[in-house]
This record gives sequence, C-alpha cells and structure tokens, in this order.
Amino acid sequence: MASFDGFEYDVIIVGSGAGGGMSAHILTEAGVRVLLLEAGRDYDPLTETPMFNENHEAPLRGVSTSDKDFGFYDATVDGGWDVPGEPYTSAEGTDFMWYRSRMLGGRTNHFGRITPRFNDRDFKPFTHDGLGVDWPLEYDEMAPWYDKAEKLVGISGNNPGVYDVPDSGEGVLQPPAKPRVYELLVKEASEKLGIPMVPIRRAVLTRAIDEREACFNATACGRGCSIGAAFQTTTSVIPWAKKTGNLKIVTDAMVKEVHLGDDGKTTGVTFVNRKTKGDVRVDADFVILAASACETARLMLNSKSDKFPGGIANSSGQVGRNLVDSTGADVSGHIPALKGRPRYNEDGLDGSHLYIPWWDYDGQDDGSVNFKRGYHFEVGGGFGAPSMGVGRSVDGYGKSAKQDVRDNYGSNIGFALRGEMVISDDCYCEIDEQVKDKWGIPVLKFHWKWSEEEINQAEHGLEWAAKIIEAMGGVVTSPKRTGEEAILAGGQIIHEVGTTRMGDDPKTSVTNKWGQTWDVDNLYIMDGGVFASNPHKNCTITILTLAMKNATKLAEQILGERS
Amino acid sequence: MSKNYISKINRRDSLKWLGSLTSVVVVGGVVVACDAPEPEMPVVQEESQWPDLKFEVITGPKYGQDPDMINPTTPWPRTLTADQLNLVAHLSDIICPADDGGPSATEVGVPDVIDEWVSAPYESQQSDRVLILNGLQWLDDEAGRRFNKLFMTVRASEQIQIIDDIAYASKASEPAFEHAVLFFAKLRTLVFGGYFTSPEGIGDIGYMGNVPVLGDYPGPTEEAMAHLNDVIANMPA
Repeated sequence: MASFDGFEYDVIIVGSGAGGGMSAHILTEAGVRVLLLEAGRDYDPLTETPMFNENHEAPLRGVSTSDKDFGFYDATVDGGWDVPGEPYTSAEGTDFMWYRSRMLGGRTNHFGRITPRFNDRDFKPFTHDGLGVDWPLEYDEMAPWYDKAEKLVGISGNNPGVYDVPDSGEGVLQPPAKPRVYELLVKEASEKLGIPMVPIRRAVLTRAIDEREACFNATACGRGCSIGAAFQTTTSVIPWAKKTGNLKIVTDAMVKEVHLGDDGKTTGVTFVNRKTKGDVRVDADFVILAASACETARLMLNSKSDKFPGGIANSSGQVGRNLVDSTGADVSGHIPALKGRPRYNEDGLDGSHLYIPWWDYDGQDDGSVNFKRGYHFEVGGGFGAPSMGVGRSVDGYGKSAKQDVRDNYGSNIGFALRGEMVISDDCYCEIDEQVKDKWGIPVLKFHWKWSEEEINQAEHGLEWAAKIIEAMGGVVTSPKRTGEEAILAGGQIIHEVGTTRMGDDPKTSVTNKWGQTWDVDNLYIMDGGVFASNPHKNCTITILTLAMKNATKLAEQILGERS
Repeated sequence: MSKNYISKINRRDSLKWLGSLTSVVVVGGVVVACDAPEPEMPVVQEESQWPDLKFEVITGPKYGQDPDMINPTTPWPRTLTADQLNLVAHLSDIICPADDGGPSATEVGVPDVIDEWVSAPYESQQSDRVLILNGLQWLDDEAGRRFNKLFMTVRASEQIQIIDDIAYASKASEPAFEHAVLFFAKLRTLVFGGYFTSPEGIGDIGYMGNVPVLGDYPGPTEEAMAHLNDVIANMPA
C-alpha cells in the first residue's frame, strides 16, 4: 500500500466523473482503499444548485455566454468549450469542440441524463457492416451489468419492445413520466409515418431510492439536482464511497504524468496542485485513468519513457486514435395547430419524456438507406420557463405582437438528431508539442473530418424531421440546409469516446475487455476512451456500466492478492 | 454618444452578427439552439442612411466560469445615457404596451434589462450594442430628415409613421430601412424577452412550472387533452 497525507490506499483513480466515480464506489464498497484525484474544485450540489432560481434573477436573464455555454445556471464549474489557460489546438480544416469541466463529479453534474443501453448489434458493428471494429464483448455478457448499473443509478423508462431499445431486467426500471401534449402529437404523427416514439430512458428518479428523492417535476437537470433525483456522481457514488472510510479525495489535482517502474508496472502519478502550482508525486499499486476520453489519452501520450516513447501503454499506437463523437443536427418546426393551446405545467422531468429511437435497421440491411449507422431524435418543446428568445419570431409591435408571443408559446417543436459516426483515420487527437497549458502540460491537437456516412445520415434526419413536422400540419422553421451544412461540429454533442479503445488484439487496441491496458497490467482505463465504437446511444450509462463491471473484477483481484 | 463617422470607403462591407437569442429547446435536460442564425448585417450603402457609428468595445468585468448561482450579481456597469434610456423606455412601451393580459414593458423594468444587455462584456451582446445604439441614432436622424426634430420630440403619430416603416420583416427589402428593420427586430426580441421573463410576464404567458409537484407527473389536464384530440382529429391526411 502507498500512502498520501497519512492515508493508505491501493488504487489511484484519476477523475471523478461517471467512470471514476463509479469505480471509486465499487472498489471502496468492496474494501479497497482509493485515492481519488480530481483536477477541478470540490463541489457540493446540496448547497450549490440553483434549484428554483428564475431567469430574471440571473445576469442577462440567464442566456448562454462564453463564461457559461449552457446558460448562467448550468452546473459546469470552471469549464466549457474554452477553459482559460488550458487551450487545445486543431489541425487545419478541423472543426472540433472540446467541453471540459473542472469540478468534483465532472460532467455528470450537468449531463442530459439520457441513458439508453446498447443492443447486441451495437457491440458488433464490424460484423454487421464491415466498418470499424467489433467490441470484445457480447451483449449477453453486458446485459446483467446494465441491469445492475441501471438499478443503482436509478433509471426511469420502460421496455417498449423496439429492437433499438433492448429490454432491461424485470423490476430494474422505474416508471416513466406521462407524456406531454406536444410529445403525444409528435407520437401520433410519427406513427402515421411508421416511426415509433417511446418513453426515453433517463437517469431521473420517479421513485425515491436510498437517500435520493424522486423528482418533484421542476427545475432544469442541467443545473444539477440537490435532491439527488437526477443522477450525478456527487450526490450518489462519491458520497457513498466516502462513507466507507476507504476513500480520500484530493481536488485541484491536475494529473500530468503516469509513471512507469523498471518492472513494467506503473508506480503512480504526478499531479500539479492547482493552488500551490507545485508538482506532487503519489505512488500506487494500481492506477485507474478516468479523466475523460481525451484527457486520459493526453495524459498517456504525455507519459513518455524509454519503453514507451509514444506514451505509456501505447505500443499499439492507438492512444488518441479512433476518436468519435455523436453526430448532431437540429431541426425546428412551428405547429400552428398548437397556437394558444390550453396551459398546464409541462416541466415534468425536464427534457424529453418520449423520443424516437432508430427505426430503420431493415433499410440499412437491404441498402435502401445510404448510411450504415443509426440515430435517434430527442424531441423538445413545450411550455418551458420563458427565455430571452421567446418573442423572436413575431413581427410588428404593440398589442397584436404581444398577443402573438403568447399564442406562439408552446407551439414550436425541436428535433435533435443524435447519431453514430463511423470510426475514421481522419479523426484523432495527438499532442501538440508547440503548445503547453498554464500548468506546463503539452496540450491536445484535434484532427476531424466527417465522412459521407455521417453527412448522409444527417441528410436523412433533416428529411424525416421535416416529414414529421409536416405530418403535424407544421412548417419547418430552421433554414434549408444540406446534411453537410446541418451537421454540428465534432465534439459538440459531448459524447467523445474511443481514444483508448478495448479489443481482443494488443496490436490494435489499448485495453482488454476489462479496461486493463495490454502493456501495463496495473494500469486501467475506466472512462469512455475504451469504447470500440460509439453507438447513437448517449454514452454515460455504458461508461458507468463498464466501470462497474471492470472495477468489480479489479476489486476481486486486489482482495485476492491481499488474502 | 460619440459620433465617429467613418468614411464610406473605410466601412467594412460586411459585419457578422453573432446572436444568442435563438429559440432554445430543452432536449433531455440540455438546452439546444434550434433556430435560424442571426441575419447578417447588410452592406451599408449611400441610400441606407445608417449611422454606422463605431463604439469602443466593453471589456469587462465578466461574471466568470464559477459565479455564485444562488445569489447572482451582475458585475458590469450599465452604460446607456439618460437620453438613450428614455428612448429605449419609450420604444419598449410602443412594442409592449399594457393590455388585458399584463402590464407594459417599462412597468416591469425592461429598459434596465436592455441597459444591462447592451453594457455586457460578451461578444454577442457587444454586437447587439452596436446595432441598438446605431438604431437609436437612426431614429433621431430619421425624425430629423422627416420632421426636423429629434425622435422623442415629434408627435406620437409621426413616431408611429417611422416605426411602421421598420417594424415589419417585409420592409427589409427597402435599402433605406434594411438596417433599421434589423435594429427594430432585435429591440423587439429584447423587449419581449425582458417582459416575458419578468415575474409579471411569466404569469402573463401562463408558465405554470418551477413549482415542486410531488408524486408522479400528472401530465396534461383534461382541457389540454381535449384540445390535443381536436388537433389530432384535424391533422393533415
């Protein structure tokens, strides 16, 4: 056992988001002692979440600014698309955006809580279409772990009997929330077109479990949730891990290097104490990296040694490669029939209650669809808290314009396409040797280019969103665009994964199916970096599930060695 | 207001106007922008009579990436002059007068919202500042051209005559008004945004959320469902 500040521990975990938080919980619960290093500051949702604050209390009525990219009340601390003093660079022609936060709990504090699990086909993309690689995992192997993770996280939703949405086990899910008027209308229109619209799975409790309360149907999840109803590691796995007495958290600890010993094992890490700006070296028998896919890749690439001149555990050369985000494209429509509709409270669980899962696997198989990977539509709209844009679409002035604003309220519907991209040699990150951040750590340089696969998929989404809007008697209000024009920037959906992928072959992958690096057997990766592909299903629940499964195995090993 | 006219030769022929006023849609708890981008500012031509004043950029202070969200404060000073604020207030109530549904814009403090907005040190608000301040100047210039007076001193009917020329998107095709139409649209968005985000405006528009509802989400009311069923029955075939 190593020790730091009088605390003895077996494992260092770098990062306190989905992967790091879940790993800490599983390990400490089993009796393994953990030193958790978090680059950002300490953060307490119980006291810091602006639960009922209204827009008029905030500067600029709460709109997004470069300081707060998702609005004033978004939970993100010291982060966003730009982190002062911590730049990243882009190759020419690359349009990539990297969202980071610097806080305990990482990005779990503000994520959308959409938690769909992968299906069997998602784990075997290469087998189905010859692109990318298969995962070294079967769905059947993952299914019981998904059940366990979903039960622990607390997921509301159902088993809709749609291939894209595999069933969760009996009694795993909590009841979904009732749909709202505009969602029922979209469902009606979609089903007319042969497209299913089903309850969305979200990490929002509709039933109290442990010390977490059921959602009280108010306040935006992106602000964080002081009652623990919307899952974030800072109201669940991290406090639980603390309670065991087996966890010590060090915040403001920006890890810059993973050390390699003469025996080929990692001996620990060095972090920059962000307050004193000094380097601190901490030893460990095991190191888990869960700093987020890109930060973990950066850390590994920056950890050079004679044995690994290209970065620790990178004999495959795959660290930083295979970077994938979800595709994104937004379409909005105005539905005249919804104008002036009767008011009622549409807050509910915040965000979607229903969504449109991918529906055309047959079209992909028979070639009638000109792209290989699916997408889903997240559907937004309704009577949300009025924002500064509420009057944007009216003309004129005076009483009639004022009435138009009232009438239009709740009559716009947005379709957010979130799709799978195919792994590409064009998309990766590497170290930019020319640029260092304010801690003296070399930064990442991104390379990005969408392929025909993603462009065609976006095009398809634009077409079908328009069909659904028109089926409701509505008009598309987004400008007319090609798929290429509509597709959002790489990284913009904040589902970036794949940079340290798992596999069966040490030559083409960084870790085995347990997140253990092939090259350094006491070095593990438990964030989204290990994804072998990035199905259109929002990644957090799979990061949590893999971390749970792999930390359980690691705990067994550590306790086995101890006894 | 400093009048730094810049000769037409040096005028930039196009300015990109960044906007943060998209109609946002909440998707899965995360806000996504879901609307057309802000229109580009047209080239300033001889016949446009747009003042095209330049202003010093406001540089700070910002609230930063870790503000106190429970008790928010706005760290930057307001910058509108008394005359500008009066003009904004007057226009705010032309755009959003009191009616049966609720009070006027000035009654709920909208001019202060706009002053805070155009004084903010963020890029998007800085673009709006240039548009708004030029628009206010244009109104005085236009009142001068038509009636030889400042906008605030002409008759109400004369003010409305000018407003009617710039308050509608269809007027944007006239070179003399194309910039002023963008100004008015921006001001209208800010006025209605400020009004309907105020406590009174929230009540006016009928937002009923942001209150804890214990137990399962009750879903639509009977009245809302009856309306929906009607909409579904009349959907296009």
